[in-house]
Parts: sequence; C-alpha cells; structure tokens
Amino acid sequence: MKDEALKVINDVLAQGRKALVEYEAKQVLKAYGLPLPDEKLAKTVDEALEYAKEIGYPVVLKLMSPQILHKSDAKVIALKIKDEEELKKKWEEIHENAKKYRPDAEILGVLVAPMLKPGREIIIGITEDPQFGHAIMFGLGGIFVEILKDVTFRIIPIEEKDAWTMVKSIKGYPILAGARGEPPADMKAIVDMMLRVSQLVNDLEEYIKEMDLNPVFVYNEGEGAVIVDARIILK
Amino acid sequence: MEKPKIVEELEPFFNPKGVAIIGATNKKGKVGNVIFENFKVNKERGIFKGEIYPVNPKLAEIDGIKCYPNVKSLPDGVDLAVISIPAPFVPNVMKEIAEKGIKRVVIITGGFGELGEEGKKLEQEILQIAKENGIRIIGPNCVGVYVPETGVDTVFLPETKMDRPTSGSIAFVSQSGAFAAAMLDWAAMAGIGIGKMVSYGNKIDVDDADLMEYFMYDDQIKVITLYIEGVKDGRKFIEAAKRVTPHKPVIALKSGRTEYGAKAASSHTGSLAGADVIYDAVFKQTGILRAEDFEHMFDIAKAFAKCKLPKGDRIGIITDGGGAGVMASDAVAKFGLKMANLSEETLKYLKENFPPHAVAGNPTDVVGDTDAQRYKVAIEGFVNDPNVDGIVIITLFQVPLLDEMELIEILADYAKKSEKPIIAVAMGGKKTEYYAKILEDKGVPVYPTPERGVRAMAGLVQYAKYLEKVEGE
Repeated sequence: MKDEALKVINDVLAQGRKALVEYEAKQVLKAYGLPLPDEKLAKTVDEALEYAKEIGYPVVLKLMSPQILHKSDAKVIALKIKDEEELKKKWEEIHENAKKYRPDAEILGVLVAPMLKPGREIIIGITEDPQFGHAIMFGLGGIFVEILKDVTFRIIPIEEKDAWTMVKSIKGYPILAGARGEPPADMKAIVDMMLRVSQLVNDLEEYIKEMDLNPVFVYNEGEGAVIVDARIILK
Repeated sequence: MEKPKIVEELEPFFNPKGVAIIGATNKKGKVGNVIFENFKVNKERGIFKGEIYPVNPKLAEIDGIKCYPNVKSLPDGVDLAVISIPAPFVPNVMKEIAEKGIKRVVIITGGFGELGEEGKKLEQEILQIAKENGIRIIGPNCVGVYVPETGVDTVFLPETKMDRPTSGSIAFVSQSGAFAAAMLDWAAMAGIGIGKMVSYGNKIDVDDADLMEYFMYDDQIKVITLYIEGVKDGRKFIEAAKRVTPHKPVIALKSGRTEYGAKAASSHTGSLAGADVIYDAVFKQTGILRAEDFEHMFDIAKAFAKCKLPKGDRIGIITDGGGAGVMASDAVAKFGLKMANLSEETLKYLKENFPPHAVAGNPTDVVGDTDAQRYKVAIEGFVNDPNVDGIVIITLFQVPLLDEMELIEILADYAKKSEKPIIAVAMGGKKTEYYAKILEDKGVPVYPTPERGVRAMAGLVQYAKYLEKVEGE
C-alpha cells in the first residue's frame, strides 16, 4: 500500500511539484483501497474514444494539468458526453480552454470517467496542525461545508469509534440517517473511508500536508460510496 | 497501579524537604521577599515542614533566618530551588544547581522566550543544563506552585493583596500567572478548595501532560482543571490525556478561540496557539471537558469535587419557586439533558405527603409556604425513583416558613447517602450567600442560578457518558 502510494508521490516531487493532479491523487487513494470511479487517463483522443467505449456513454472528460488545479474555473471539465461525435468536440474544447486559462499549461492527459449516479455529498479532508499533527475532517458537502461550516475534526490516527462519533456529531446527520422518508446512507462506507484515509496519512505523514476528497457521493445503505474528486498537497 | 517515573520526579515540587530561595531579599514587596515570606510564615504556622534556605550574597540573614552567599555553600538536603533573579544570571545559577545535585527548579523570573530570540536562547541554555543533569523545571515566567496542605507557596503576590484558597480536591494548572493568581484569590472568596496549583508560564520542561499524569496518581485530587493558551507537544498531550481521563475528569479552558485572541496568545507567553477547531477535536477525542469560561470551569470542577457521577441524563428538579423551576427546565433542554419522567409510585408518594396546593411532578414545586420537611418528602421521592439520574434542588431561602439550617442538614444528609448526584441552586443576596456557603461546606455544591447549576450537572453527565464509552471497550 505505502510503496505504491509513495511511488506516485516521489514522481511528483521529482518533477518539482507539491500539488498532485486529480489523477495522481486518486492513484495514491487507490493504493489504500479507497472507492474510486472506473476511470482512465487518455493521452490521445483515440485513447479517450476507446476508454469511453469500455466505460459506456455518457462519460465525463477532465483535463489534467499541474498548472490547473481549479478545473471548473478553467472550464476543462466536460460532463454528460453522449457519443463519439460529442467526445471529439469536447476534447478540442477543453484543450482550447486550458490554453486560454494558462498558456503554459502542461497537459498530462484527460481523465475519462463515467457519469456517476448522484448520491448524498460528503467531504473528507486532512489538514496539518503545527502542535498536534494531522487532523481529519468530515462533513456534508456542498453548501453544508461552504456556508454552514458543519464539519468536525479529529487528530489522526482515529479509531472506528471516533469515525462513528464524527459521522453522528455533525448537525446534518439526519440527512445521512435518512430524513423525510429517505433510506439511510451507507455510513459504514463513510467510516471505512475515514479509517483508510487515517491510515494513509499516518503512513505518509512526512509527505502529506493537506488533502480534500470533495465531493464524495455516498449511496444508500449497502450500496457504498465513490470519491468524485480529490486533491493532495505535499509538504 | 504502578506509578510512573513522573510521580517521583514531580513530588519535591509539591512537598520539598528543603527549599532554596535564590534571590531572597529583605526588601518588602520584591518578588524574592514575598516568596521567602510565604514559606517563612507557613513554617511558623506549622504548615510548611521543610527547611528554608535563602540565597543572597549581600545578606547574612533575613528575618532571623541564615542566608547563604551562593548555591555551593548550601547544606545537603535541598531538593527544590526557587529562582527569582534576573534572567541573564539564571544559566550560571543553573550550573551551580546542577553541581550541587538539586533536581527540581521553579524559575519565577520573566524575560525569556516571551520576549523573543535572545530569551529563547537563554531558555535553550537552561534546558540543556537541566537535561544533562536530570533536573526538572517549572517555568520560567510563572508564579509557580501553591499547595495549601504542605505550605509550598511561590506565588509572589503577598497575602495582604491576594487571599489563598483552602485545601481541597481540585488541581488547577494555569499557563498564565496573572490568571492563576486572580483565580486563587477568587477561589478563596468563593470557598473553592484547591489541592494543588501550578502555573508553568513558558513551560520549557514540565508541561500539562506531565502534570495531568502526576495528578492522576495524587489521591487528594478528584478533578483536574487546565487553563491553556497553547500546547507545545501535541502528541504527548493527547497520549497523557487519554491515559488520565478514564480515571479522573479533566476540564480545560482554552483561550484564543477567535483569530484575534489567538494572536494575543502568541505574543503573550511566546507559545503558538493552534487553530481552535483542532483543540476542540483534541478535547473531544481525549475525553477532556471543554469549559466556555472560568465560571464554567470551576462550576463543573466543584460538582466533580463534591458529587457522585450520574447513571444517566434524566434530571429531576425540585423548587420552591415556579419561575426558577421553569428556568431550570429550559437549561435541561439547552445543555442536552432530559427531564425525568417520575414513576407512578413517586407521584403517589408525593401527593400523599404534600398539601393539595404543592405541585408533584417534574419540576416538583413545594411552593412558597414550604418548610424543610416538605423538601424532605420531595427529595426522598426523587432519590428513590429509578427514573431519576441526577437531582437539582432549587431553594429560595427567602420563603418565610423555611428553617434554613434544617433544610441544609437534610440536603447534606441526602447528598451523602444517595447514590445520585445532588446539586443545589440558591438565588438571592447576602443572606442566601451566607447559607449557600454553609451548605457547600457540608458537601453540596451550590450555584447562584438554575442555568449554572444545570450546566454543572451536564458536565457530570458528559463525563459519566464518556466513562461508559471507554469502559465498554
């Protein structure tokens, strides 16, 4: 686990970078068994077409560049691509947008991903405190984290009971437990993710500064969860 | 439990056989004079049982006690040195202390890390000497140690200006010396007993983690209170807190909650205050109860010092005034507790023994024409009710037919024999304060408002729940 993750991290450091692009961050997460979409990095439009066929339309394209960390701002994400025709068009479009946003943008490839079924959005994050070391954060995603700041922290490593307490302690917990007739969300999957992140950061504490898994889609009980986007910043 | 090394290491700070007061002087009001006087007076009172050795090259004696010119000339048997000489002279004295074989040092003097790089260098120099010679240091830049029972008192604010609290079961640790002094003075007035107080200032060596661990093995101490501006070694703090909280409650007051406050903290004692959310996380994770302010901290501490722990969160309220009962019920909801549903038996018992106009229920209102015996009926009912976990008794001592002393005896008796925590609320003025003090001396914590009383009860419940969780593992 650690070795695979470390290989990705060392490659990034060798290029003189501190921020992992989404694809690299997900490779690190994958090494620790975190739930990820079935997605691939295409270097050419032909590769993208091939992967899209494997995955099945509709698909998503996300351009990976170390110079572009805010992909939405740079308009290098194309959603709901329904066929080959549209894929070719969007491929051109996101490359042009990247050039416009950052003429010096180095392009590592384009992530071809399935359109995910929406779930309840959560965020799992890591920050480093100078006195206590790394802390893990949990909260509901979207406006809950941005406006209401409904999040909770614990110092890692955390134990399973800590993860459960965190999940249950946020104000928005009823949304996960199932409000207004909705079935409960897969909270076991959330706890499992938090424990894996805790172990990952504990193993790699001398490398990792910050981390965001945002958003993560959590499905109904027993149906798991999937990390939609991820960021890792190294020390 | 086998005691760890830290217990033996810190013991002489609290109960030294011989204390050297380096920088002792006969000039009234000087730090070195106040500290010397504290020890001398406590020895005359028969409280401090060790020897006192003032050190000052310019004096042959102070107030009839022989003065030594330097550390080297001290007799053997000195196990604690209290330093109040200016910062630049401290490293040399530390070397002499090391040569003499004295292993515990309180450095009162300021002018170290809190002032910047120069001072930090001095601290490093001192720490180096300490580490090489197995010396433990409290301070610098602090008021040090106060132990009512052994007469150790390095607080350089004279008794004429600052009262000292009596001995009790609360340990009080404070980063800030000014806060520590103000709190001791206040605790003396409020009748709150302090077992041991340590103010560690810049804490270059002995820190919160060490002290928590020491107090865990200290039989006199029932509850540990911490005033923290910043923790230096976070991991050590977490490990120590996790060991201590399953045995004794720890309450922390952390200043610097806001961005603005955080800046003030780092310029104050030279320590770096971490982000507040992180402290919140640390306290939750380690079972430390977080206090909102000093009143909150001592309100809960007082409850721990005097009460048994509740088995659950269902609260019963007894009052002789309707309004106060409503305020207490509001507070029960506000602090996340539950109002107990009294059993049929209890309701029947109360109704049978109450006059028709008294209200049996939760709250139970014994109303304004109550006497002490009607309270006794209510308490008897609540104590025996399996649906009640903790009891808040509001007594407006002002009502005409109430014999205050009779009620106080009844409350004290039930607080002692019942397995449930009983806290009292007494609202009023000077006369109320007088009776509240008597009631507290008899072992029942008393609060001036229903809200503060219920909040203290919530602290007991929170800790009881934490213990249940830890013991369940």
